[in-house]
Amino acid sequence: MDNLEFLHETEKVSGEKISTCYQCYKCTNGCPVAAEMDIVPHRIIRHIILGNKEKVLTSKSIWTCLQCITCSVRCPNDIDVARIFDALRKISVKEHCEADKDTWLFDSFFLDSVRKHGKLHELEAIMNYKLAKRDLFSDAKMGIGMFLKGRMGILPHNVKDRKQLREIFKKIVGERLGR
Amino acid sequence: MATLTYYPGCSLKTSSKFYETSIKEVCSFYGIRLKELSDWSCCGASAAHTVDETLAHVLAARNIAMAEADGNHFFAPCSACYNRSKITNEKISKDKELREEINKLISPLQCLGTIEIKNIIEVFHDYVGIERIAREIQYDLSAIKVVPYYGCVLTRIPGVKTFDDVEDPVSMDTLLWAAGTKLVKWPFKMECCGAGKTLTNKDTTLRLSSKIMDMALTTGADMIVTSCPLCQMNLDLLPYLGKAEDNLPVLFLSEVFELALFGRLSGSGSHIIPVDGAVKKVKKK
Ligand code: SF4
Ligand code: SF4
Repeated sequence: MDNLEFLHETEKVSGEKISTCYQCYKCTNGCPVAAEMDIVPHRIIRHIILGNKEKVLTSKSIWTCLQCITCSVRCPNDIDVARIFDALRKISVKEHCEADKDTWLFDSFFLDSVRKHGKLHELEAIMNYKLAKRDLFSDAKMGIGMFLKGRMGILPHNVKDRKQLREIFKKIVGERLGR
Repeated sequence: MATLTYYPGCSLKTSSKFYETSIKEVCSFYGIRLKELSDWSCCGASAAHTVDETLAHVLAARNIAMAEADGNHFFAPCSACYNRSKITNEKISKDKELREEINKLISPLQCLGTIEIKNIIEVFHDYVGIERIAREIQYDLSAIKVVPYYGCVLTRIPGVKTFDDVEDPVSMDTLLWAAGTKLVKWPFKMECCGAGKTLTNKDTTLRLSSKIMDMALTTGADMIVTSCPLCQMNLDLLPYLGKAEDNLPVLFLSEVFELALFGRLSGSGSHIIPVDGAVKKVKKK
């Protein structure tokens, strides 16, 4: 285990002291989706410490995570485990090895909509996601149901100062989000 | 008359518009003035911090900076907006380096992180109080059995002092009790509904939200009450997600107040799981 580089990178991106983990399993025990994960939370943490970079970054678990924060509030060592999962998503996308593209894709369309309007235009973000997935109809019934209940707007709401917001986005994440 | 800076966030203008209507009616009854933050933008929700931490802080800081000018408490009824604003406000007030970085990006706006961020439970506690709530109820809700559902992000905010217990909050229980409902104890106050995976991983949302719904049914409750728009939506969407039967209505906290004060629901037409059965149990005092 002399590959400390990955541990340090993950600690830096997440801002968490991962090396203080003593493998008590509490994070995994409270995780609502542990059963759906290929590598459960406490093991992800252990693999980071052991420097098993590829194993961690290509794991589906980091995308299965719901960011419910249960693990973080229960860790006896105050490790914000959810934040580490969040950091691993960023690192895996940066290294082009993410095991699941859907979450990132949807989040990117979400933010793209915010970049354009300042506020989320739900229909636009959802349609862009559905188009990218080439799956326009699987949830059409749900969408129509929402629309009929007045819960899905057709037109976007815009902030007044759209230019300022676009410039901020440009400075931070470049012109286009997603990949 | 108290005045609050009201930050609706995206949900309360679109998929949960009826939550806003309900909040406005109830606040106006109690004499709380809501001054909507002018030209507010999205708080970034869970998408921004997944993609870029700086972007997440910038989006929340832009709103806080604009709100700081008039110094009122910042009222964010949506749990995600509350959570994100609270985190950024706290970090910016404590971390000088971050404050300078963010302020450079949002300039000429300046965010100092000095504002008080309040969720809807705090607003009812701090600005109305349980005594007044109990005293002024107009309709009898004692036939309605409710389970309070807090969801994840209202109290789970690592590194920030939270307004209620992280694992076993009771503040909404107290409000529902004061409003005259029959509170039912249950173990799923904080269980995750599947969060933002409604589209990207429907099966997970269906599994987790069904578990919550089934537990509520087991306790004999008439309705689930929450303050979170995403929780409300995921549970209310259960018929579309694949759970066709055995669903209880999912009401917003402010809607219970509507029942207690006016005996009806302005947004009953926006609920996917019908609310009529529960509303019928309301009696004139
Ligand atoms: S709860 Fe904390 S200490 Fe325990 S295994 Fe998880 S990360 Fe390690
Ligand atoms: S934040 Fe993610 S890893 Fe932690 S308990 Fe929730 S779903 Fe599991």
